[in-house]
Amino acid sequence: MSTDVRTRPAPPPVRETDPPRPRRRGRGAVVATAVAYLITFVILFPLLWIVLLSFQTNDNILNHPFSLSDLSLANYQRAMETLNLLVMYKNTLILAVVSVTVGLVISYMAAFALTRMVFRGRTQNALRYYFLVGLAIPVYVLLFPVYRLDIAFGLFGSYFALILPYIAVTIPFNILLLTGFLRDFPEEIEQAAVMDGVGLWRMAWKVVFPLMRPVVATLAILNVIYVWNEFPFAVTLINDPTLTTVSLGVSQFQGVYSVDHGAMMASATLVLLPQLVIYAAFQKQVIAGMTAGAVR
Amino acid sequence: MNWLSTRRHFALMVAPALIIYSVYMIYPILYSLYYSFSDYDGVTATDFTGLDNYRQMAQDDAFWTSLRNTGIILGIALFLLIPLGFLLAVLLSGRVRGSGVLRALVFAPAVIAPILVGLIWIFILDPEIGLVNAFLLAIGVPAHPQWIGGPTLSPYSIGLVYLWQQIGFVLTIFYAGLRMLPRDVMEAASLDGAGRRQKLRYIQIPMLRETFGIVTALVVTGVFKVFELVYALTGGGPVHLSEVMVSYMYHITFTTQQYGYGMALAVVVFVVGALASAATFLGNRRKEEAS
Repeated sequence: MSTDVRTRPAPPPVRETDPPRPRRRGRGAVVATAVAYLITFVILFPLLWIVLLSFQTNDNILNHPFSLSDLSLANYQRAMETLNLLVMYKNTLILAVVSVTVGLVISYMAAFALTRMVFRGRTQNALRYYFLVGLAIPVYVLLFPVYRLDIAFGLFGSYFALILPYIAVTIPFNILLLTGFLRDFPEEIEQAAVMDGVGLWRMAWKVVFPLMRPVVATLAILNVIYVWNEFPFAVTLINDPTLTTVSLGVSQFQGVYSVDHGAMMASATLVLLPQLVIYAAFQKQVIAGMTAGAVR
Repeated sequence: MNWLSTRRHFALMVAPALIIYSVYMIYPILYSLYYSFSDYDGVTATDFTGLDNYRQMAQDDAFWTSLRNTGIILGIALFLLIPLGFLLAVLLSGRVRGSGVLRALVFAPAVIAPILVGLIWIFILDPEIGLVNAFLLAIGVPAHPQWIGGPTLSPYSIGLVYLWQQIGFVLTIFYAGLRMLPRDVMEAASLDGAGRRQKLRYIQIPMLRETFGIVTALVVTGVFKVFELVYALTGGGPVHLSEVMVSYMYHITFTTQQYGYGMALAVVVFVVGALASAATFLGNRRKEEAS
């Protein structure tokens, strides 16, 4: 009863091309372009506003937010003194690398076994549906039970408290997309490899996996963004300041800075900008990854 | 592949994913369901109280408020986010110079951590320090609406922030759909003298029926995941008036530690979310059959 729409595997990320160049640009095109730029500016304005505030004095933020005098880096100085940005980034990076790598490896193995191995009976199909049920489970329902599990397993207070649920939550969609692609994998290549005496393990990793790289890359991007931005599990399962993630750190800004709005905005900018720079660099892959399953 | 397919190898390859998934996703659902029939609070002995938690919910005003607020956000998503996302996709798929860059920029909010989105919007919406009211003051409007933190406007504001966050995503899906439309149909329509509006009404919208279905289903599931925005913008307050279902469940479970009641709320979150998605799914199917 997977009710998520992402029940349909999608082919590799859609290649975005610019719209065909029009032969003639009339007044309509000029108006359309102007409207499009205006809307984009309005949408981006909140982000620009935060960056602007991060250079304002607290007095100006409260009383003259539109003034452009007295801009300075003082907020950043205070932000750097209070903020443990490096710890936040280190923790989040460890969580993302470990959970995404392990999650993809085990999802790929399961998806391979579910689609490429040959058995009579319906076990494989039934198992695949069992995995896809997870698409309909909202993570919020898992928070308390997972918290109890982490305590029972003695994982509370370690990275594994978050790594295991992160892996579990990404498995259903990984399996959905991977099984979709693996099903279409041409049998001839496999047969040729079997003739050459290739074993199962090499078949999975050396013959088939290299051809699955585009899907795996799409999933990796999607999963890294999920873990990077994840908040509900982090706020529930982390109470040790040395394990704070980026999202968890951001949620504490209001408490940490109280009325020091300038430093708060400087800290927000220090989290925001790296994320936007990375997005700008991998923009096509990120959009393809996040819309995988919906766009084909 | 026949030779290589032994049951032992199959089990070894499926086991890691199967175990982690079963322990961390399936077991928790059963756990929630089980304890939703109890008065589990972690302190006193746990009794099984049947449907008491669900009866309590029916009489809990804060629960109904959270359901209504989730409904408000859903309404904004269905009646503003989807149409606006579609129109923006139509605009950007037309003769706009630099449309690729604009699409990437509009998508940017979807990449930012939701908790950071919440923090950013405090500085737009807060009645005292926010941009909107500062702007109203600057242009001489004396009104001082409580966009967040007041008794009425918060869920609408949260819905609009959700719209801001998702519009690039919705736009991208529609844009891809528009690009898939066969170009000769559009050209034939132009030759027959169809205007932009006619093409939109009689060709693009009907041919994108399936895309509308996908977007609707994605948006419906997405609305039930709104949590960070509430957490950052209002904390559910004042007195739970801006709570959504998920944030109220979180409050009951982790702040008041009524685990039994919290699990009952979790079960309802799961069921209502699944029903809404199933309704969308069935609606899509019927529309497709009708066409």
